[in-house]
Amino acid sequence: VEGEESSSYRVYKHHEQRKVCISRPKYRDGRKDKAVKVYTINLESRYVMVQGVPAIGVMTELVQLCALYGVVEEYRPLDEYPAEEFTEVYLIKFQKLTSARAAKRNMDEKSFYGGVLHMCYVPEYESVEDTRLKLLDRRRYIMRAAQNKDRQSNMTLSQSHEMPRNDNNTGGNSNFNYYSDFTLLPLPPQEQHYHMGQQGTELREDKMGTLHNAVSNTNQQSEYNSVSQTSSENIQKNRQQRPTQNQTPMVRFVPRTTQLEKRKHRKEEAAGQTLTDLSEVNETLIGPKLPEPPKIDMEDESMNTTVCLIRNTMKRVGSVPDVKPVEKKMKPRRRI
Amino acid sequence: MSITTMWKNSSEGSDRLEYLQNLVTEFQDTDNEEAKEQVLANLANFAYDPKNMEYLRELQVLDLFLDMLTEENENFVEFGIGGLCNLSVDPECRDTILHNSGISLVTNCLSSQREETVLSAITTLMNLTTPLSRAEITDPAILQCMLRFSLSESPRLRNLAGVFLQDCCAKEQVAQTEQEMHGQQTAVGIPLAEGEISATLSPSVHSLHCG
Repeated sequence: VEGEESSSYRVYKHHEQRKVCISRPKYRDGRKDKAVKVYTINLESRYVMVQGVPAIGVMTELVQLCALYGVVEEYRPLDEYPAEEFTEVYLIKFQKLTSARAAKRNMDEKSFYGGVLHMCYVPEYESVEDTRLKLLDRRRYIMRAAQNKDRQSNMTLSQSHEMPRNDNNTGGNSNFNYYSDFTLLPLPPQEQHYHMGQQGTELREDKMGTLHNAVSNTNQQSEYNSVSQTSSENIQKNRQQRPTQNQTPMVRFVPRTTQLEKRKHRKEEAAGQTLTDLSEVNETLIGPKLPEPPKIDMEDESMNTTVCLIRNTMKRVGSVPDVKPVEKKMKPRRRI
Repeated sequence: MSITTMWKNSSEGSDRLEYLQNLVTEFQDTDNEEAKEQVLANLANFAYDPKNMEYLRELQVLDLFLDMLTEENENFVEFGIGGLCNLSVDPECRDTILHNSGISLVTNCLSSQREETVLSAITTLMNLTTPLSRAEITDPAILQCMLRFSLSESPRLRNLAGVFLQDCCAKEQVAQTEQEMHGQQTAVGIPLAEGEISATLSPSVHSLHCG
């Protein structure tokens, strides 16, 4: 805007990338170098700032990329923010905090049209009401987690093994009924065979159907455990147990590196094969316990195939190395 | 101990507990300030996930965080109050904090020079508000502090203080405190517009510490 002073824009300290910590002992040294920082609800926001966007007219592409992680309510260039030469800065307002988290986790430090994006939350753009709702959401989520824990511990009174809590790690968004607004794709049938499956899919899937699965979700959490990525991911990647009916013992915790290898191996196996059910035992349990969703069937094999293909593509688009791949469906793929 | 051996053949819950225990042990055993900071930040971040809250309580990490609030090292304070901010949403953690004179310890953090520390303190106070604790938390001194914060240049501070005043306090309380404050301020000779504090007042408002 003409006459507006850009020099008066304040660069907040929490937007800056901190120096990486290099002195961590091995047992808590993560895969990615991270600075020492504590995340609280005050640092998070559904407002996200994206720096480093090449100034070549790719705003639309940027917003489309962001939209993969959830509905974008608003976006605009931040002309007043200091930017490196030939780059632009954008403000993105997500509808949900969980989407902002996912976007930040997946897009931060990633290359984009020749530049490297730096994503950070910008809670200073919130209104008082935004802040209040954010805090309220967080509280509701924790309350529900506590309730679920009680319910579970009551249920497993007779069981010897410990049940993990059915909570997701979003921490900020407690209204999982958002799923009812989902208009894109129906749940793939039998995608997951355990509790986390249902709500996991529900939660992890935002409006674009992108699945930040168990792993992604826990990785959202690991973002806050910035000091120790590996440890947090190991703990947070709640290796899921089977449905309570089966009462199978806890799945063992798989360290991160092993998972990567497994995934790679699986990818190689899967190439050119029919879809098989991998009976993934290492799913993270997230979200409150819900009854199994009805198995959705498009009642047409080609439709089911299409649905599956689209979902897989979208998942792949949204996936990063530390995101767990989605379960392959049981139904055999029709060979074209 | 490698992480692989740690997770093998164990139930997830006890693994988690064990890992967190290792962190607490390292914090207690090491003299290296930098290592302590890292572990503290680690624990504070783990406190964000409800899955860990029960274990952190068991391991008395709440006490650890509370102890940090009186440390000289500002990082210790910031990470400690951050951990409390994360944990205090959980009702059981909240009660534990309240039983350990948490309110006064947290209130002291409102005077910190570090914005993150202050923000965490405000949020923690809000989390600690129960019908029983409300009176202590809406002490006039704290209210005055929050009123000043609500005029801050920092949007986050303004917003949080605003939510505190709206949600934790009765309107009459706030109005009364406001009046008292205006009385003080006009006494200093700074003219006030109706319902407004002039921009020139802000710097001096900032410099006022509360509690």
